[in-house]
Amino acid sequence: MKDANILNRNLELQVPEICVIKTERCYQNHMKENPTVMTKSKSQSRPNVIWGFFSTVKLTIVLLIILAIVSILGTLVPQEQGAAEFARRLNPAMLQIFTSLDLFDMYHSIWFRVLIGCLAMNLIICSIDRFPATWKRFSTRPEPDRTKPFDNLPPEQSFLVQGTLEETANRVNKLLQSRYKKIRKKEVDANRFFYGEKGGYSNFGVYLVHLSVLLILVGSLAGSFFGFDAYVNILEGEQIDTVMLRKTMNPLKLEFTVRCDKFTVEFYENGAPKEYRSDLSFIVGGKVVEKKNLLVNHPAEFMGVTFYQASYGSAPGKTVRLKISRSTAEPTVTDMKVEAGKPIALPGGEGKFKVIDVREDIMKMGQAVLISVQPDQGKPVDFWVFKQGKMALKMLPEPMLKSPKFNPSAFKPYTFFLDGLETKFYTGLQVNRDPGVSIVWIGCFLMIAGLFVTFFLSHNRIWVHLLKTDKGVKISAAGTANRNPVGLERELEHLTRDLKGLFGKKG
Amino acid sequence: MLNSIIFSYTTFVYFAAFMFYLLAMVMNREILARIGTVASLIGLLAQTVAIILRWVESYTLGVGHAPFSNLYESLVFFAWTIMLLYMIVEWRTKNRTFGTFVTPLAFLAMAYASFSPNISSQIQPLIPALKSNWLISHVITCFFGYAAFALSFGFSLMYLLKRLDNQKRNNIFLQLIPGRSILDDLNYQMIVVGFLMLTLGIITGSVWAHSAWGTYWSWDPKETWSLITWLIYASVIHSRMVRGWKGKKIAILSIIGFACVLFTYFGVNYLAGLHSYAK
Repeated sequence: MKDANILNRNLELQVPEICVIKTERCYQNHMKENPTVMTKSKSQSRPNVIWGFFSTVKLTIVLLIILAIVSILGTLVPQEQGAAEFARRLNPAMLQIFTSLDLFDMYHSIWFRVLIGCLAMNLIICSIDRFPATWKRFSTRPEPDRTKPFDNLPPEQSFLVQGTLEETANRVNKLLQSRYKKIRKKEVDANRFFYGEKGGYSNFGVYLVHLSVLLILVGSLAGSFFGFDAYVNILEGEQIDTVMLRKTMNPLKLEFTVRCDKFTVEFYENGAPKEYRSDLSFIVGGKVVEKKNLLVNHPAEFMGVTFYQASYGSAPGKTVRLKISRSTAEPTVTDMKVEAGKPIALPGGEGKFKVIDVREDIMKMGQAVLISVQPDQGKPVDFWVFKQGKMALKMLPEPMLKSPKFNPSAFKPYTFFLDGLETKFYTGLQVNRDPGVSIVWIGCFLMIAGLFVTFFLSHNRIWVHLLKTDKGVKISAAGTANRNPVGLERELEHLTRDLKGLFGKKG
Repeated sequence: MLNSIIFSYTTFVYFAAFMFYLLAMVMNREILARIGTVASLIGLLAQTVAIILRWVESYTLGVGHAPFSNLYESLVFFAWTIMLLYMIVEWRTKNRTFGTFVTPLAFLAMAYASFSPNISSQIQPLIPALKSNWLISHVITCFFGYAAFALSFGFSLMYLLKRLDNQKRNNIFLQLIPGRSILDDLNYQMIVVGFLMLTLGIITGSVWAHSAWGTYWSWDPKETWSLITWLIYASVIHSRMVRGWKGKKIAILSIIGFACVLFTYFGVNYLAGLHSYAK
């Protein structure tokens, strides 16, 4: 296990007693709250109780865990659409508890929002509370002649060079200037002290992450206040101007009309859908303003409203295929294609009839149409005609059988038969407006940037000490970092190597 | 198909690697651990080739897509990410004892993919909702996140075992486990990498959901469970960065976090939801 020692040495940096290079992590054990990310402001005697409550990270952790636990609950209890089936199996007392706690729509309940609100408050107040300390750490420039960083400095971090103190100091200064910010110098007798730092901005990474969480919450609120979430089914060739809101199931009128010119669906050999597509026309004031093709994963936007290809299906269109037999002395059978709602003359000319209702499946007895015959004289006769007439007769209860409403021969001498309905494809569209979505994306981007800064960049502070001795000028370098001690050690190794190189010494 | 044959051989290679790493620790023979490394490398290489083959094969079948589209393919990719991350850790730390705790996870994922009767290794065509450029970035980020959490789980187990080590016990297996501060630090590094990847995975997932379903968040069980996992690891990071928790507490939290990862991955299939194609 010889090799493991290399790692051991690097990682020992974190153990306070054998700290090779002082990193701020070393203080961790002495302070209750580690200052690496956010330091609580010193003014903890703030009288405000609410402020005190919301400014602890303990609360953050508790809230995160509570949110995790209640979210688990929400995945176990069926939500929204799935809830009805589940609710039926509960006894009344349980049902009472479940509904009063909004457990069937938990993620939109008041108490869930209150929890998220608490987390947001906690996040804002923690950030405000700790910001001054972070700002101080970012903006203060420590004294160049601090000795603490040099405690326990390993010998390889010091070396001797020949030359005058002034000249050495100049060259060191030049190197540091090219690499670090906020350079400070100090001259005391035979000593020259330098200070420099980099990565100061990494102190703010955590605020970026917190801001991003708030932006995402604001964006989702904006979406729920100013946006809508709706759906609509459009039969091929037809147009709509209202959509159905999912939350309230109320219709919403759009400022324009959408027509589905064409719907196409392709299948794989195994029968699974491969691609489905709606060709849409957007119509304003009777004129087609724009045409767009809608595919799954390729939504289309028009006047701030976005349409998504969500589903498809077939539905009876308006065309009905009928067979009409006239049983007189010379029986005739006529095949007809009839448009629902249009009055049509009877084959024998005794009057007119029209199809007034078309059903894909009525009472589980299959396709049926409601026909209304208006004789030249007398009252209209209405009756249902089933596609599977014989089966329907068997299934119908006795009183209904006798009713003329279910007799396809109710208007003598005609008998109506339903051959079939001309089905049409409909396209199922998700229709949204969400003005908050761009805020959410900005939040997401900031979150990634913030996490990256917080986790992978660190605020490295470097001290270089020059001491004139009898043998030459002794140069030593040390540093501290708020994170990533291994990275700091590498940084110091590079600095020492380059300082040696500056004076013609081989690193 | 050639690729699934290679995948089932890889399963055995990973098992062999695990056995070598384990024996190396039990018998205190470094040479066995080296053989373990060689086996892991061969396995990883073979698996990489097989993933590429499968990708190419899907194009020759005319259904061309990245091999990340069902449970079989995701399990294979999960094992691959675990092994890749593990190889990086082994190379960086020059310590082979981690292998004993990490390679069995890759082996189990591969064994589940190859031998479960419920999982088909067929290349299936993509349903329209999966036809998106976000598929690749979503799956890669999520699974690197899962793999980092898997490694962190392994390191946490090692940490808890190492606590049992003392002079009196004089157990060579426990002695060979690296020091607690190394384990704690590696554990945390993996959590950080996993958290960043999980965040990216959730974000790419919501961008995709927004273009496919019109909503970036719909509280579908898989989404919710990934958020639960995210919340757990967020609390781990806060407790460590701000409150200075270390060692045992972090190890236990990391194990809980990995349990959430597993539920996000497998458990959710027992709940209805939009991610049903991943079954």
